[in-house]
Amino acid sequence: MSNEKVDVVIVGAGASGSVFANVLTKAGKKVVLLENGPDWQLTDLISSDIWGRRVKPAGPPVLLEGKNPFGYVSQAGWGVGGATLHYFANFPRYLPTDFKIKSEHNRAHDWPIAYEDVAPFYDRVAADLGVSGDAKAEERWRPAGAPYPMPPMKTFPNGEVWLKGAEANGIHFVPAAVGMTSQEYKGRPACIYDGWCHVGCPIGALANPVVTYLGEARRAGAEVRPFSTVTRVLTNADGTRVTGVEYYDAQKQKQVQEASVVVLAAWSAQNPRLLLNSATDKHPDGLANKNKLVGKFMMTHHIAGTWALFDEDITPHMGTVGAQFLSYDRYAKTSYPGAFGSSFIVAGAAMKTNDYASARPDLFGPDLAAFMKRAARGITRITFFGEDQPQLENRIELASDKDEFGMPLARLIHSFDDDAMALWNANFDQGMKVAKATNAKEVWPGKGPVVPTSHLHGGAIMGTGPENSVTNSYGQTHEIANLWMAGPCIFPSEGASNPTYTIFAVSLRGAENLAKNFGTVAG
Amino acid sequence: MDDIQRRAFMKGAAFGAFAFTVGGAEVMLTPRQAHAQNAPLKTLTADQAATLDAIGETLVPGAKTAGITNFVDQQISGPPEKALLQARILNVRPPYANFYRASLNAIDGASDKANGGRKFAQLSADEQHNFVNLMRQNKIDGWQGPPAPFVYGILRSDAVDVTYATMEGYAALGVPYMPHIAPTARW
Repeated sequence: MSNEKVDVVIVGAGASGSVFANVLTKAGKKVVLLENGPDWQLTDLISSDIWGRRVKPAGPPVLLEGKNPFGYVSQAGWGVGGATLHYFANFPRYLPTDFKIKSEHNRAHDWPIAYEDVAPFYDRVAADLGVSGDAKAEERWRPAGAPYPMPPMKTFPNGEVWLKGAEANGIHFVPAAVGMTSQEYKGRPACIYDGWCHVGCPIGALANPVVTYLGEARRAGAEVRPFSTVTRVLTNADGTRVTGVEYYDAQKQKQVQEASVVVLAAWSAQNPRLLLNSATDKHPDGLANKNKLVGKFMMTHHIAGTWALFDEDITPHMGTVGAQFLSYDRYAKTSYPGAFGSSFIVAGAAMKTNDYASARPDLFGPDLAAFMKRAARGITRITFFGEDQPQLENRIELASDKDEFGMPLARLIHSFDDDAMALWNANFDQGMKVAKATNAKEVWPGKGPVVPTSHLHGGAIMGTGPENSVTNSYGQTHEIANLWMAGPCIFPSEGASNPTYTIFAVSLRGAENLAKNFGTVAG
Repeated sequence: MDDIQRRAFMKGAAFGAFAFTVGGAEVMLTPRQAHAQNAPLKTLTADQAATLDAIGETLVPGAKTAGITNFVDQQISGPPEKALLQARILNVRPPYANFYRASLNAIDGASDKANGGRKFAQLSADEQHNFVNLMRQNKIDGWQGPPAPFVYGILRSDAVDVTYATMEGYAALGVPYMPHIAPTARW
């Protein structure tokens, strides 16, 4: 079945898709977002670790392979809002060094843009979404920008107990920038610090797309079609233009949505999967893939979490699941001898009972029961996110297994290189030094045989031209002018800080460029 | 979600309850209530249920009466997109019943071999503890099924869920639950 042609069809209603929808709808374009999951409402966001799993995927899995498989589903979204329906809303920026790692260290890729190109969009996103923090305090590590629109969030003992140990190790913490309301903002209430952010914030204190960009886009006329699974991007006969997408609707009926412009905003795993599955005789290796770079350079952050257990009651359950404090004091790419890459440090996340149990996965039976009682009063963690360098062999490819619509599953193959593993180990060593310098009764590294990972990047990276990349800095593919990519898939390197703020900022920059040049792009 | 779906969801979530069939009628019960009322299982066999009860209790004291088996059985008997299991988060491929069958059969198969024909539920408490400790470390000879440490992690998470992730579990630990959307009864 074919639908009336629209100006723009956006695949995915998460962070980046919401930004594109908001900008383009307000620019007068007719926009349809196709989202493969439900149309969640705030009232669906029950405060429960068990019920919170509903907002994550349960469909055909991405096949996770390699020496260090990605942690996928825990971070992924399913439904309106995408992963940003349940994200932690830590809003650190990338630093200038992240954009020129090749120039400075002869590693990986430079971005085709500099920090200064993104900085104005960081400031605008902060104003749009509402960021709480202390910009001035962060400026010890980054160029000055606008102040955040709200003061920092409250802090609690589960975060404050880290300050002494961090300072003793030359790590200066400042209030974390978070996409949350420390006070009422644009009609959204102030956060009440109950620590249920990770299962979705039903009061709208946390800046998820439902209460920000997507909500605005819908009010401006954007249409969201939930339970719509896109399987192919369609092209004209000579393969020079995309003409729309093929998808299966809520009744599992095949539909076609024609559009002048297609924006793929379905995250770093599904975007390449769609490009690869859209192969034609004119694009035998998939769309935008003449250089065979689609699906390549998949990156993720490794996590080194160090635990501390205090005898006193430090209210582990209080606060937000974002951080109370952040530090870039190990962000220099060469911070540790023998390792390479940035590390970003946070402390003071609220924890719930499932978190207590996961702090000591080796314990069970009466030992676990005893530990749970102690953890309920005194558990906390310091977390180091570490950078993974882009490698060609870390990739998305199509598997032979197919989903219910006959679309091949994605296989995501990923291994950390020696530099990344050295950095991961160094971050544990550093975390233990910090923890031992606190007043904790017990400290231990959260280190097991599996390297925990967070955040997805790459798969359709931006660059200066088709010889080194899939898109330009706005997300427009080099090969097909009216096919755009949005989200972290276009990041050519990943820094070490939480990426969503940068996803919003880069998407806003891309969406405004598309809106400005729509006539040329749409043809 | 449409209004009807949302109402059904809210009804369950608000009470920490799920739909169980008792006496031929579908009723909303917490897993603990379902266990206490001996609600019939839809997917797991009696042997598999006995094994899950036993290993759940070994992993987390109190998990059996908190209804781990009724919880898992109810969750694997519906469509995967409605499942609330940690298996979903750890990328287990649906249908989840296949994973649980394979895991529970692996536990009993390994126990049978190592303990003279006795299934896991027939072992003493000490033997069960030792078995799980080896399972956790992937040191069980002749294990045939999903990786033993992964099975340990999933079942431990299920046991934690029913014992500690409920409002009742929070209360037992003295942790304020502080919901944004308030459950109106304790799980």
